[in-house]
Amino acid sequence: MSEWPGQPDTAPRAGTYAAHDVTKSFGAVAVLRGVSVTLHPGRVHTMMGENGAGKSTLFKILSGIVQPTAGSLSLGGTPVVLGAPQAAHAHGIYLVPQEPALMPELSVAETMFVGQLPTTGGLARRIDWRQVRARAREALGSLGLDIDVEQPARHLSIAQQQLVECGKALLYGCRIILFDEPTSPLTSHEVAHLFSIMRRLRDDGCTLGFISHRMDEVLEISDDISVLRDGVLVDTVPRERFDRVRLMSQMVGREMRVIPRRDWTAATSTVALAVDGLTHEPRFRDIGFTLHQGEILGLAGLVGAGRTEIAETIFGIRPPDRGHVRLDGDDITGLPTHQVIAKGLVYAPEDRARHGAILPMTIAENLTGGMLPRLAQRLGLIDRRNEARIGTETVARYRVRCAGIEQRLRELSGGNQQKVVFGKWMGLGPRVAILDEPTRGVDVGAKDEIYELIEGLARQGLAVLVISSETEELVRLCDRILSIYEGRIVAELSGGQITLDEVGHSYLSHAGEAA
Amino acid sequence: MDDTRPPAPVTQGPAATGASGSRLPLGGWERALLAVLALLLAGLIGVVPGFYPGFGGFLALSENFLPFGLVALGLSTVILTGGIDLSVGAVAGLSAIVAAELWSGLHLSIWLASLIGLAAGGMFGWINGLIITRLNVEPLIATLATSFIYASAGTAIAGASPPSGFPDSFNALGTGAIGGVLPYQVPLFAVLAILFGLLIGRSKFGRRIVMIGYNVDAARYAGVRVPRMLCAAYTISGVMAAAAGIVLAAYYSAVRPDMGDVLLLTTITMVVLGGVSIFGGEGSIAGVVIAVLVLGFLRQGMLIWGFSDMVTTMLTGAILLGAIAIKNMLGGRGAGLALLLARLGRKRVRQEAPARAR
Amino acid sequence: MSAAGTLAAGRARKPGRARRERRELTLIAATIATILLVSVSRHGFMGEQNLRFMILDSVVLSLLGLGQTLVIATKGIDLSVAPMLGLTALGTGLLAQGSGLPLWEAAAMSVVIGLVLGTINGLLVAKLAIPPIITTLGTYSLYSGLMFVISNGTQVDAVPHAYAVLGNGVLARFLPVPIPVLVLAAVLALTWFMLGHTRFGRAVLAVGNNSTAAYNAGIAVTATQIAVYALSGLLAAIAGLMFLCYTGSATVTTGTGDHMELQSIAVALIGGTAIAGGRASMLGTVLGSLFLSVVLTALVFVHVPPIWYSAGEGLMILVTVAAGRRAQAAARS
Repeated sequence: MSEWPGQPDTAPRAGTYAAHDVTKSFGAVAVLRGVSVTLHPGRVHTMMGENGAGKSTLFKILSGIVQPTAGSLSLGGTPVVLGAPQAAHAHGIYLVPQEPALMPELSVAETMFVGQLPTTGGLARRIDWRQVRARAREALGSLGLDIDVEQPARHLSIAQQQLVECGKALLYGCRIILFDEPTSPLTSHEVAHLFSIMRRLRDDGCTLGFISHRMDEVLEISDDISVLRDGVLVDTVPRERFDRVRLMSQMVGREMRVIPRRDWTAATSTVALAVDGLTHEPRFRDIGFTLHQGEILGLAGLVGAGRTEIAETIFGIRPPDRGHVRLDGDDITGLPTHQVIAKGLVYAPEDRARHGAILPMTIAENLTGGMLPRLAQRLGLIDRRNEARIGTETVARYRVRCAGIEQRLRELSGGNQQKVVFGKWMGLGPRVAILDEPTRGVDVGAKDEIYELIEGLARQGLAVLVISSETEELVRLCDRILSIYEGRIVAELSGGQITLDEVGHSYLSHAGEAA
Repeated sequence: MDDTRPPAPVTQGPAATGASGSRLPLGGWERALLAVLALLLAGLIGVVPGFYPGFGGFLALSENFLPFGLVALGLSTVILTGGIDLSVGAVAGLSAIVAAELWSGLHLSIWLASLIGLAAGGMFGWINGLIITRLNVEPLIATLATSFIYASAGTAIAGASPPSGFPDSFNALGTGAIGGVLPYQVPLFAVLAILFGLLIGRSKFGRRIVMIGYNVDAARYAGVRVPRMLCAAYTISGVMAAAAGIVLAAYYSAVRPDMGDVLLLTTITMVVLGGVSIFGGEGSIAGVVIAVLVLGFLRQGMLIWGFSDMVTTMLTGAILLGAIAIKNMLGGRGAGLALLLARLGRKRVRQEAPARAR
Repeated sequence: MSAAGTLAAGRARKPGRARRERRELTLIAATIATILLVSVSRHGFMGEQNLRFMILDSVVLSLLGLGQTLVIATKGIDLSVAPMLGLTALGTGLLAQGSGLPLWEAAAMSVVIGLVLGTINGLLVAKLAIPPIITTLGTYSLYSGLMFVISNGTQVDAVPHAYAVLGNGVLARFLPVPIPVLVLAAVLALTWFMLGHTRFGRAVLAVGNNSTAAYNAGIAVTATQIAVYALSGLLAAIAGLMFLCYTGSATVTTGTGDHMELQSIAVALIGGTAIAGGRASMLGTVLGSLFLSVVLTALVFVHVPPIWYSAGEGLMILVTVAAGRRAQAAARS
């Protein structure tokens, strides 16, 4: 058995880690309801579920970050109470968070020791930097990472940050390591590397927890799968009994039917958007495509493939190195955003909270925020009655569930917020809409509503470019799909080619095969 | 933000927007402030002898503090964008000196010189904006540095004996009154206050300013031309600072390079007391106007009562601290008293990130 | 940006420390360059008299700057250092002048004053969550008002002999190092050690980098914040005492009249401390203060009217910060 740095000489802490009837409520909303699950040593236990199912919350409870409203935890049969993350660490439990906590200006080594820097003995209790560096290097080395531990942490890529967190777990002597949705921002190579490390840990007897909603990954790495839906544990199955279709339907809560593709298309032959040779090194190269009125075109690819950057360049957030973008024949290459909007192209960004909407402002203010130049005025001031009319109409048309247009946007659910974002842009009557992750953070029920909205708009002549990491979504929505891999278009699929399998494989490498 | 977290509870911030979404109608904070003003005036009139020597005398008191109010209007615009302008004092002094030198050196009409002074103030503010948007320097540092530079320039241009003794018609701006009762400063401030209120609360410009303050990235993605808006905001702050400087020049019938020094602390207090969030977005001009009146009359009252200037300055500082502390406790994400007690105690309250930076 | 490459990230550079060292070296080089440049054209610049003047002048500012650096490192700012300096100078000075306060008592008093005033700042920022700029703007007015109250119209014109020796004496005749410089050197050594080699110092930087993460890692964020403001107060008080001893005088406008708070921020920034927190250099601050002092004295020698000095400081701040931003942006791409 290999020795992990920092492991104390006592009996191994890894053991069976169980949650008993755990419930968690935030105010009146129950996020977890009576969840009981057991993680075993030497196995990877995956929590699967849709957004909002409660997986992250469960892991936070398991790692001491959040306290359960009811229920208990036990380690090796003995009850434990984790009042803070430090208590969890003391029991050998570590959570690799979804967003690694970065200390940008501190060195990588120091980041791993925050709050617990070792000191030398004697009169002058100074920090033992040599030990810090050596142990950090050791921990990372055992994970196969050759990183300069003295560089500032902000130089690390996301994948490296996650592995550094993993190294931290080992430093603390933790043998129960939970991974909260680590694969979302990683490229396929990085995912493979992460999985190889997870397998090493598992084979060494660690207890691993893993969250993902990507079926392929889950089926590949897991030894046990638990499905959560709306805060309730639906089922737990071991590897021998994995059944893809059954798992899907358990996650979604209804019989999985073949994904309903439209049998109609609203695409016309009129070109709404023509992109040609668009390049912005090193993010993307030679991107060219045409988008027709009424057509829904999808951009498929892994996170980091460059799709959002392409969209942002078209929209005018940054100018391209070369290439052209033509909107209805009009050259809009490199124009700033307000002009692009004026010409009829709108963009709903993937990070709604940070870029898409202004949460502290009211629904009405958000709805008119994108159309200020065109908003009616009286005597130089915004015509409030007109604004209210726009607000009420849009809220009705998109069926936004709210307590009135004066409600602050942050009080709405994710799905309703997204509808407001749509309403904001559609109110301008654009000709082209780029939607980046249109149903991120939206619960299952609202997703269908949004799909219908998009299709309805396409029927009215809107040209839509959809960027999504959910293959199911692209298969459901798109007339055509372009696959992007590391900044280049590697495949174009249309009609009968658009299936889960085909699309899923098309963006995994240059040759369209898993590398 | 994914749906694992339930929708946040309905907590309206203290300066809630009014029923129709504009920022003119009074929210909770403004109403509280109005009550404070009423109580304050009642208290001062009742207790301090000489505070109310007739209506005209009472109004004349405002001549002492309305220039601060002018600065506060412009400063609010900047703070609403999430920025700050530490150079208002220096700009006030420098612009007034420029105007005074043009009058005394080039013998321009004092009014023309004043107009040029206003334009100069705008230019100084615009330079602030450029440094912030083009050189990518934080507003705090940028305006700190320019306050040095503008103050220096002011001292240099003013020389050993700065101009003084302006024409009476000009001095009336600072100390004169319509019909001997209504000081010229009052309608001046009132008109500008209404203009700013409409500008910030009801115009597209104001909407954009507030969007930038709440979330500059989202504003950018919505097509707001952020650099242009920021430059405009700082230019406005510069113009209003210059206006204050010129009014002060009329009031004293003299200029001095350090006459703007006293402006910064008091005007920031007025803005913050008025309910404008130092982080941007939240706040109303109405609140700021009421705060101007509160602080102004408070100071005058204390001076008349016999307290020294220094004590009133200290009191202003205490009010600044108190206002924000109260605002934090009431308007934060959590209910007032419990949070207060938990905060002051040793209990670790599971909050999100501790105090944000300036 | 191939995946394989990103995983085994290069050992090519150590940018963090390198950048800081580069800034410090640049400052040293610039200081020497200025001295040489001016010495060539104007005699007396390197003369003993002038050298003393430049160095001693920057001691007080350096002490202020060191405290400010700690505060800025936590993403905060302390505008009240000027009145804290003035209050100490005036307070101890008046007592010394009036009732002959012994030097060691004055020193003890300074420590207490600084810690108390600084802790008040810290409590307001950390416990009541008032943004630092507002807090210290408020305490600025409170403390400077206090200066007027205790002065009661008087001022300090003379100090007892012991004080003068502390301020103007040298270590020994064969090693004429001015005592204030020794004091500064000791303080610099202590704070440098604290920041770089103690848990507290690293906690300060951690808080400035990411206070939430620091909190989650078990660092007492609130206590750390209160401590840095207390230290800032302490150093400002020591600076005040040094000022009193060195100049032999103190008035109601000591510190505030020269806007020493803004100057202390300037030298911290010039020295390479990031205004956004998380990165600080004690040595850089002292070098920045020295550089500023040399440049300002040079301006005197070159007969630039004194009124342009602040403008010079302002320009220096802009140049160093803007240049720093540009270097950061370049390094990123």
